[in-house]
Amino acid sequence: MMQRILIVDDEERFRTTLGKRLTERDLDVETVGSGEEAIKIIKEKLFDVVVLDVKMPGMDGIETLAEIKKVNPNLEVLMLTGHASVDSAVDGMRLGAYDYLMKPCEIDILMEKINGAYDIKAGRDERIRQAEIRRMVDRSPS
Amino acid sequence: MIGNDQKTSYQGLKRYIVFILCLAAALPLGIIGGTLYYQYQSSLSQKVTSQLVSICRQHKESIERFLLETSSALRVVTQLESLERITQKDALQRTFNILQREYNNAFEDIGVIDAQGSHIAYVGPFDLLGKNYLNAAWFRETLDRKIFISDVFLGLRQVPHFIIAVAHGSGQQAWILRATVNAAKFGAIVENVRLGRTGEAFIVSREGFYQTRSRTGGQVMEQLKSKALDLSFFEGVKFWNVKDESGRKVLRAKSWMKDNSWLLVVQQDVDDAFGELYATRNMAILIFILGACLIGLVTFFTTRLLVRRIESTDKARKALDEQLIQSQKLASIGELSAGIAHEINNPLAVIGEEAGWMQDLLKRENLKDLKELDDFKDSLREISQQAGRCKEITHKLLSFARKMESVIKDVDLNKLIEDVLAMRERDATYSNIDLVKQFHPHLPMIYSDPSLLRQVLLNLVNNAMDAIQKGGKITVTTDIGEGDSVEIRVSDTGTGIPQENLSKIFDPFFTTKPPGKGTGLGLSICHGIIDKLGGSISVTSQVGKGTTFSIKLPLEKAKGAT
Repeated sequence: MMQRILIVDDEERFRTTLGKRLTERDLDVETVGSGEEAIKIIKEKLFDVVVLDVKMPGMDGIETLAEIKKVNPNLEVLMLTGHASVDSAVDGMRLGAYDYLMKPCEIDILMEKINGAYDIKAGRDERIRQAEIRRMVDRSPS
Repeated sequence: MIGNDQKTSYQGLKRYIVFILCLAAALPLGIIGGTLYYQYQSSLSQKVTSQLVSICRQHKESIERFLLETSSALRVVTQLESLERITQKDALQRTFNILQREYNNAFEDIGVIDAQGSHIAYVGPFDLLGKNYLNAAWFRETLDRKIFISDVFLGLRQVPHFIIAVAHGSGQQAWILRATVNAAKFGAIVENVRLGRTGEAFIVSREGFYQTRSRTGGQVMEQLKSKALDLSFFEGVKFWNVKDESGRKVLRAKSWMKDNSWLLVVQQDVDDAFGELYATRNMAILIFILGACLIGLVTFFTTRLLVRRIESTDKARKALDEQLIQSQKLASIGELSAGIAHEINNPLAVIGEEAGWMQDLLKRENLKDLKELDDFKDSLREISQQAGRCKEITHKLLSFARKMESVIKDVDLNKLIEDVLAMRERDATYSNIDLVKQFHPHLPMIYSDPSLLRQVLLNLVNNAMDAIQKGGKITVTTDIGEGDSVEIRVSDTGTGIPQENLSKIFDPFFTTKPPGKGTGLGLSICHGIIDKLGGSISVTSQVGKGTTFSIKLPLEKAKGAT
């Protein structure tokens, strides 16, 4: 199954090109330009990993992260920051983000982190599935 | 730092304060002293004046009384006695005896002269019987005026004396009773006046001859030096403050008597009369001078202290201003570069992504046959690389800007110290200094400001290296302290700090380095930083053995400290 990625960044050209490059690497990519749009789309579609810019007009990365975690705690989030906002990236990780990356970033490193985040999510999904199966087995009349 | 202009302005300030304070203190002192002196002087001068005037008046009265009484007595004799009786020797002798008794032996002799000027009877020590006075001036005067008192003269006997003569009858029956008064004896009346050291009284005739001896002027019968006395007439007693012919200042009371023919003079030297005053004045001046000196000294030293305080306060404030300006400058540079770096960072990210995308595209199968594939790849690699280079630059700018902010965060002290020592490692090797680390292996993270801590440690290590100069050891130790604290110690094997300097070492501007080499601010800033971080810094030292600085830091920066 293809990893489903959501890119959130206010810089239109950046997110579309990054999206194309990730698609080229066999990922299922959606891109949105703001925190608000991101919250809207994760309610409609399923994703594995969100790549989230910290510095955005309107709802910023940290707020968006908190909201995402509220809507779907199971989503893994990767923070993208400029150097000066490493502190907020740290805050973000305290709020449950998987990791952070500095912009502009090497595509290979980004891929690595996405894979790492996906593995965590996949592992957790697997455990949830197992637990659900066990629950269903327990419930079934013997 | 402090220019010459400023030095002069402090000097000026000092002079100004000293001047004002001295004036404020000395002026009242002077006014009080002057007023008291003036009061004292005028009351004393009044006293001296009235004393001289009253002596003058008293003596004038007693002399005039003496002359009046003696001449009246002689007149009574001429009226009681007939010429026949008085010319008998024993009768005249008896009259003389009575007069001597009554007038305290004032008379020298007594005689009777007839109308022809012959001395027809005489009692006295001289042999004057039979002498003729027809041509003597006094004889004529007596016949004319009935009573005559002469000036002092030598006469036939060649002894200074004066005559009191009374005429009786008229024409050929006229006769004269004449008594003489020895000038020396008469003079004693006034010569006995004693007033201070130089006070005296004497009588001068209208013609300017001394009638009595003057201690400062001359003998009886001697003529006055010209202009020594003003001989013009006046009524009563008058007082002068004059310079006499030899230049001495004298106080002088004068009065005319004996029908304006004798002038009584009572005088005293000013210096003598006011001697007491001069002593008082000298004492007052001495007290004033001593007081003024004291005031001056106290003012001078107080002011010097004051101005020094002001100067050092100014100096400290100036240094603080400079520091503030410097840090503000750095902060604004930081902000500016951070802004620029941020703005550039986003386009840079886009460029990177675009180049990356093109590189991705070139990997596709359908482009494998592109003739210029290698050129494209090369060019795109270059774009990516240059974008990466720009990224390095913006990140450096941003990290510089971040140092301007005071950020409190988790600090791994061992790591931080390691970084600092690494910066100095090369210089230390040149100077043959061993940098020894004795780190506590399980030192907890502390919550503090890493860039400030870095500054402090760098300063301490630099100082240690300066103290060692050539060949030695610097040991940096980290340890867990009492309570929730950690401890850093920086020890050197340098020259050490003398005991008397240890207490001043954290004072601003205290430095033992030559001018221009150190501001004396390093350790005081360290102290300030450690204070700000809620810790404490202390020093121990032994001359010749080395110095240890110890820093204690709380695990978490004390709340409330800024």
